[in-house]
Amino acid sequence: MAKDKITSSSTAEYFSKNLQQVGFSSPTKAVLTTLKEAVDNSLDACEEQGILPEISVVIEKKGTGTLKNTDLIHIRVEDNGPGLSLDDVPKVFGEYLASSKFGRGRCSRGQQGIGISAATTWAQLTSAKGVTVTTKTKTMRQAVQVQVAVDIKHNKGVLKEKKEGKLKNPHGLSVEFLIDGRIQLQGEGGLITYLTGTALVNPHLTLHYTLPDQKPVTISRVSNDCPEVPSATEPHPHTMKLGEFIAHSHLFGRITLKAWLKKGFSRISDNSLAEFVKNGLNKKMLDMSVDKINEAQFKDIFSVIHKTELMSPSTKSVMTIGEESFSKSVRRLGEVDFFSVVTRKPTICDYKPVAVEVAVARLKGMTKGEGTEDGPVQVLRFANRVPLQFDKSACAMVKAIESVNWRAYGLQQPKDSLPSGPYVVAVSLVSPFIKFKNASKETIDASDELVEELRRTLIQAGQRLSRHIKKEHREQDLENKLRYIEQFCPILVDCLCRITKAPEKRKKKATEGLEKILGRDLTAAKKEFKEADLAAKEAAAKGKIQIITDDAVEAAEPEEKPSKGKKREVKSQQPEAKPAKTAAKSSVKRAASKEKSAT
Amino acid sequence: MRSETIPKISKELCNRMLSDLESARRPILEAVKCSLDNSNYSPKVGYLTPGDKKVRTELNVSSVQKMSRAIFLLEVLLRNIDTGAVNTKRELYYIAKGEVKHDPHLKPLDFQDQSESDAVIDFICEMLECYREDLNCYANDRGGQTYSNQLVVTETLPDGTKAVVDLSSLGTSPFQPKNRPQSLQLKAKKKIDFCLVVESEGTANTFVANGFCKRNNSILIGAQGVPSNAVRGWAKLIQDQLRVPIYFFGDLDAYTIQNIYRTLKAGSAASLIRNSDFSAPDVHFLGVLPEDIKKYDLSDYPVKETDQSEARALKKAADALKNDPFFQDKRNKNLAKMLEWLLKNKRRCEQQAFFMVDPRDPTMPEKIIVEKIKKGNFI
Repeated sequence: MAKDKITSSSTAEYFSKNLQQVGFSSPTKAVLTTLKEAVDNSLDACEEQGILPEISVVIEKKGTGTLKNTDLIHIRVEDNGPGLSLDDVPKVFGEYLASSKFGRGRCSRGQQGIGISAATTWAQLTSAKGVTVTTKTKTMRQAVQVQVAVDIKHNKGVLKEKKEGKLKNPHGLSVEFLIDGRIQLQGEGGLITYLTGTALVNPHLTLHYTLPDQKPVTISRVSNDCPEVPSATEPHPHTMKLGEFIAHSHLFGRITLKAWLKKGFSRISDNSLAEFVKNGLNKKMLDMSVDKINEAQFKDIFSVIHKTELMSPSTKSVMTIGEESFSKSVRRLGEVDFFSVVTRKPTICDYKPVAVEVAVARLKGMTKGEGTEDGPVQVLRFANRVPLQFDKSACAMVKAIESVNWRAYGLQQPKDSLPSGPYVVAVSLVSPFIKFKNASKETIDASDELVEELRRTLIQAGQRLSRHIKKEHREQDLENKLRYIEQFCPILVDCLCRITKAPEKRKKKATEGLEKILGRDLTAAKKEFKEADLAAKEAAAKGKIQIITDDAVEAAEPEEKPSKGKKREVKSQQPEAKPAKTAAKSSVKRAASKEKSAT
Repeated sequence: MRSETIPKISKELCNRMLSDLESARRPILEAVKCSLDNSNYSPKVGYLTPGDKKVRTELNVSSVQKMSRAIFLLEVLLRNIDTGAVNTKRELYYIAKGEVKHDPHLKPLDFQDQSESDAVIDFICEMLECYREDLNCYANDRGGQTYSNQLVVTETLPDGTKAVVDLSSLGTSPFQPKNRPQSLQLKAKKKIDFCLVVESEGTANTFVANGFCKRNNSILIGAQGVPSNAVRGWAKLIQDQLRVPIYFFGDLDAYTIQNIYRTLKAGSAASLIRNSDFSAPDVHFLGVLPEDIKKYDLSDYPVKETDQSEARALKKAADALKNDPFFQDKRNKNLAKMLEWLLKNKRRCEQQAFFMVDPRDPTMPEKIIVEKIKKGNFI
C-alpha cells in the first residue's frame, strides 16, 4: 500500500498545471490563444442573440515580461454582444468546464468552457492579475468593470474591484488581459493570420484591430445576415459507447424504455423498435422504466441497437457559410485574382453530421513565404469557423489537399505534397462533433471518411478553377507560339543559309515557307484558345468561378449591402496589374489581324 | 565517321532543310534513339548496337526553338572543325553565350544552363551519328591511368608528328589515354601476358607500388569507377592491337556488374552509336566472384536498402535482368546468375577484401589474382 495520502484536485488545479494542453505551450501561442478565446466567445454570444458582431481588438506591448524572453502584453477585445450579467461573469471567466454549450451538439465555436478560464489562469500566473471584464446588458443602466481571478483550489471565479466601466456600444462586453507572451504577426501562428482568417469565415463580422507597430485596420462585414446556429439534434445511438448510453438514460428519470429511445435519440421510430424486437430485444422490456433496468440488460439493449440498421444521423444540426457569403469574404483575403468556392451539402462522416466548404483563390503580389510563385500554397483551416493554426501536417484537411492531383487543374504540385503557387486554399469544416486530436483544438483527426469528403470538395473547387487556368495556359501557349515565330524564323533560316552558303533569293523563299508552316500551327493554337476561353466564360457565367478586376473589388467594398441571391460576374480585364497578360492579348490581337490579312 | 566527312554531311542536311522550307514542307530531323529499348546485343558483335527506332523532330511551333538551337550550335562546331579548334561542352556553352551577347538577334537562343547546350550537342551527335570528339568537342579525360614495363605508345599528333611514350620510362607515374585513343599505336617490347583493369584507381596504384608490374608482364589500368570514353576506347585498343587477354577486377555488387563492367565490355545504351569503338567485348570478370567469398573467407556485408544509391542500384539490376539484351543473352548467363545472386542475397563484397586474406603480406591480392588467371577462375 502506498504510504502517501491520496488527495483529489480541482479541475482548475489540473489545468493550471497543464496549460500547455489547452494552447499555452509557448509565449507566442499564449497571446494567440488568449485572443482566440476572447474573439470566439464574442462571436458565439452575438450569434446566439442574432446580433451582427462588431469586434475591436487592441494588442500592445507594455514592457518586459516576468518569464524569460517574453514581453508584457496587453490584449483588449470588445464586442457589441448581449453582455453578461454580473452573476455569470465569474463562472465564464473563472470556472473551468462551466459552459452553456458543453455536449449540446451545436456548431458553436466554444464547446467545453475551458479556453477563456485558461486565459484568465495564464494572466493570473504570469502577471498576478486575472482578467478585467467590463459588461453591460440591455437591462443594466451602467456598464460595470470587475476583475476576475480563478480560485484554483476550488475551481471558482472570484470577483474583485467592482467599479463603473465604459463601453463603446450600448451593450456588450470588453475583456482585458495582461499576460507574458511574445507577438508573432504573420505565418502559421501569426495574429494577423488569425484575424484575417476569422474575417474570412465570418462574412457578417466587422473587425477593427490595432497591433503593435501596425496601422489600425478595419475589415467591414460583407454580409448582413447573421447566421442562425441550428439547434442541436438528439444523439444517434450508433455514435455512443455503452457507458454514455447508460449515462444518457439517467437524464430522463422515470420513463419507459420505449419512450426514452424515441425521445432521447434521433432516428429511432416505432418501426425501429419493431426491428429491435426482431433482432432479439425482449418486447416486455420496452415498457419497463429505464431506472429499473440493470447493467446487463442495458448491455443487451445496446448490442441489439448496434446490430440493427438505422437511418444515418440528421444533418440539420450543421450550418454553412454559403457560397455567396464565402465568395464575398474571399475578396477580403488580399488582392485576389480569381477564385472558386464550393459548399457541399451536409453529409455524415463517422456517424457525425459535417459540412465542408472550400475556397481556392489566386492572389496577386505575394512575394514572401507560403502562397508565392515558388512556395507551397497558403492553407487556411477552419473548424466551426475558428482558424486552426498549428500542427498543420497531421490535420485531415492538409492530408486531403495533398491527396488531390492538382496538376490536373493546372497547378504545380510536388509528389505527395501541397500544391505550389500564389494560391490560398481555405477549408472550412462545420460539425457539432469535430474530432480534434488535442484539447487545444489545433488539428482535426484524419479519418478516412472525413478525408474523402474533404477531398471531394477540394476536387470540385479545383475543377471549377481549372477552367480559368486552362484558358490562361492556352493564352500563354498562343503567346509563346507567336513569339517563337517572330524570334526563331529569321535565326533558323539565317543559320541554314550561312552553312549552305545559299543566295538571298533562297533565303527569302525559305522564310516565306517557314511562316506558312508555323501559321498553320498558330491557327490550331488559336482554336484551342477560343475553346478554353469559351469554357471559362461559361463557368464564370454559371458562377462557378469568379474573376476579380479592380472595379469589382471597389464595387465589393465592405459597406455595400449586397442583394441576396445575385452573384457578381466580372470579366477579366486588367491592364496595369498584368503586363504579361496584356502583352499576350495584344499579341493575340496581332495574330488575329495577321490572320485576317492572310486570308 | 571522321571529322572530314562531317562538314559535307552537315551541309547536305541543311540544304535538305532549306529545300523543305522553300516548298513550305516541314523539315524533319532524325536521330538514332539511344535507349535500352532500342538496343540490340549479339555475342558475335560483342557490344550493344542500335535498333531501328529513331527520334524524329518535325519542325513546328513547339520544336522551332530546338531546331534553331541545333543548327546554331552545328554552325559553331563546323567552324571549329574548319579551324581545328577544340572545346569542352562547358566551353561551347560559353561560346554560345558569347555569340548571343555579340548579336542581340540571337537572344532567343540563349542557354540558361549548360544542360541545355549539352542536350543540343548530344542531339547533333545522334543526328549525324558521330562521336562528339569527331566534332572537336572533348570530354575531360578521367580514369585509365596505365602502368606497364612492356608497353610503348606512339601518338600521332594533329600536325602529323609522332610522339613515342615508353611506359617503363615513366617510373611510378601512369600513362593516361585520351578520350579519342584511336590516334594511338601500341607496341609490346616483350610479350605481355595479360591486361588487368582495376575498378579502384587507388588499388591499382597500390599494386604498382608493391611491384605488380615488375613481377608480371602485364598492363595495369585503374578504371576510376564507371569507365569514361577514354578507358573504354583504350581497352578496345589494347584488345585489338595487342590481342592480350583483359581481366576486370572490381567489387562484387550490382552497380559494378550492371554498370561499370557491362559498360566496359559492351558499351552503354546512351552511347549506342559509339559502342563499336568504345567497348572491349573480350574482357573477362575476374572478381570478386560470389564463390571467392567462401573460398578466401572474405568479409562481406549486407546492402543497405535504406541507402538511396544502393537501393537504386538493386532496382536497376532487377530491370537489367528483365530488359537488358546483354544480360538476357545466354552467353552472359553466368553474369546474369551473379546479378540474381546479388539480388537474392542482398550482400556485397569489395575488391579490397582480398587484403584481409593475409594482412601481413601486401602482395597477397596480387597472388590471388594471378592464381585466378592461371586457373581460369573468372567469368
